[in-house]
Amino acid sequence: MLKSINLDRWTPAFFLAPALLLLLVFRYIPIVLGFEEALYTNSLSQAGARKFVGLSNFIAVYEDPVVWGSFKTTLIFSLVVNPLQVGLALLLAELVNARVPGIAVFRAIYLIPIAISAPVTAIAWGLALDPNYGLVNGIFRTIGLPRQPFLQSPDQALWSIIGIISWIGVPYWSLFFLAGLQGISSDVLESARVDGASNLRIFVSIKLPLLRRIIAFVLVSDTVVNFTLFAPVYLLTRGGPQLSTHLVMYEAYRRGLVYGDIGIASAIISVLLIVVIVFVAIEFIVLRPQH
Amino acid sequence: MKVDVPTRARLRKARRYILLYALLIGLAIAVILPISWIIASSFTTRETVWKNALPFSWRAFFPEEFTLDGYRAIFEKDFGTALLNTFFLGAVTVVVGIAVGAMSGFAFARLKFRWKNFLFALVVFSFMIPGDLTIIPSFVLVRDMGWLNTWQGLIVPGLANGIVIFLFRQFFAEIPQDLIDAPRVDGATWLQVFLRIILPVSKPALISAGVILFLGQWNNFFWPLLVAPVPELRVVQVAVSIIGIEQNVNLWEQMFASSTLAMLVPVLLILPFQRYYVGGILGSGLKG
Repeated sequence: MLKSINLDRWTPAFFLAPALLLLLVFRYIPIVLGFEEALYTNSLSQAGARKFVGLSNFIAVYEDPVVWGSFKTTLIFSLVVNPLQVGLALLLAELVNARVPGIAVFRAIYLIPIAISAPVTAIAWGLALDPNYGLVNGIFRTIGLPRQPFLQSPDQALWSIIGIISWIGVPYWSLFFLAGLQGISSDVLESARVDGASNLRIFVSIKLPLLRRIIAFVLVSDTVVNFTLFAPVYLLTRGGPQLSTHLVMYEAYRRGLVYGDIGIASAIISVLLIVVIVFVAIEFIVLRPQH
Repeated sequence: MKVDVPTRARLRKARRYILLYALLIGLAIAVILPISWIIASSFTTRETVWKNALPFSWRAFFPEEFTLDGYRAIFEKDFGTALLNTFFLGAVTVVVGIAVGAMSGFAFARLKFRWKNFLFALVVFSFMIPGDLTIIPSFVLVRDMGWLNTWQGLIVPGLANGIVIFLFRQFFAEIPQDLIDAPRVDGATWLQVFLRIILPVSKPALISAGVILFLGQWNNFFWPLLVAPVPELRVVQVAVSIIGIEQNVNLWEQMFASSTLAMLVPVLLILPFQRYYVGGILGSGLKG
């Protein structure tokens, strides 16, 4: 009897240990390591040159126009891409929430981009958006629109990247909104309809307020995920033209792994981490399950 | 005059339907058009690959001269190795990742222990912070462990997945208590309960977790790009990107062919399992 009680005491540890150890080592230690490395000069090429430098990497982040510029570009990018994706995802969810014949087929089709990786999406759209040969300009010509430079123009490159990633992002986030819409009781909607409310009115005054927790969740998650956008920039523009798509994650990669300056790359990441942790902490507090 | 009202209402309804379907079809085209163009172009020769894109013709979706040149070329440069590597990576991650995730999900759902809420908050927090955000310090860590260019460097960091743990906890928490109590009274250990009672009734959660873990590995790009640059460990996404940018930019038919293969696998996986995939990712967001 005593033996089995003892065994039970260790049971939770047995079940939890693998997952918690792995999370600790590969998720939490890197967060701490990121903050720590930011305080050192640490070059990939000179292993012995590690030296404590205090906050000077952070000062460099602020003073280096390319690094600081990448933060500004990322801010503009975030302010556009996240509300855009959330708004379109809401509309898409409302659209596929219609109970009409064949809707399951459309829902399945809209799921397809979600399965496709960011690198492949980027390469495929990069080919389609080619200024000289691409399919999109071909279709533009057929319907009488002028040829566009897309990724090769400093004015259009960031917008093109926003469009490319939204091809995945909008259907992905719409899944959360669709689930939310399906959770709204039909009695509420029916009584509003009986009172003569239009569909637009019902969407704005009833559905949106009921979805606000999900909207908040998606907005935070989308923002955080988009901070780490890397593949399309790496594959299509390398930050250009004229640094117009020079987003912060690409800059961290370039500094840390191309130039081998892990210190400044870690400082860049630390700034981003602080922003993300604050966002997520606020979300935790605001979205805590109501009792 | 009385017939007029229902007729008008019906007309309005018909107009709404037409608008609705026009939107649905338009968006479906926005999804299918680029994909079918990529697939069609993967079967053309390098010389004709752009011919029907600009100026545009419907022929862009039906190759004039069907050829497998693109596929032949990518398999000659070891795209097959990348496919096999990624299948292997995915299989190991699915099996071990499910074991790790289901065990901890079970503990969080069914066992009593101290710090439970705190530890679970750590799990949830871990998937709110995207792994790519800390990819550079993770790289430093794995490098210092001597794991660069190794299988363990590719596999081990992705085994514990917060979303998967969350998914299992939600699912296990719904299993009726009686199912667990009866064998416990008969003296079964928790491990026996877990293996013989819990897992057999959890097929939906197992499938969801498997699809999420496999897709995650199949579509993983940034991490393998950093930790395993050697050709022997190359994965699909990195192989596609190398054909896409780092070699001669004229390898269009190969770009189309490699992109086609890289997207076909996850699409064919997600369509039959869409209910499980969607259920899996939604659980993480809506109840969290």
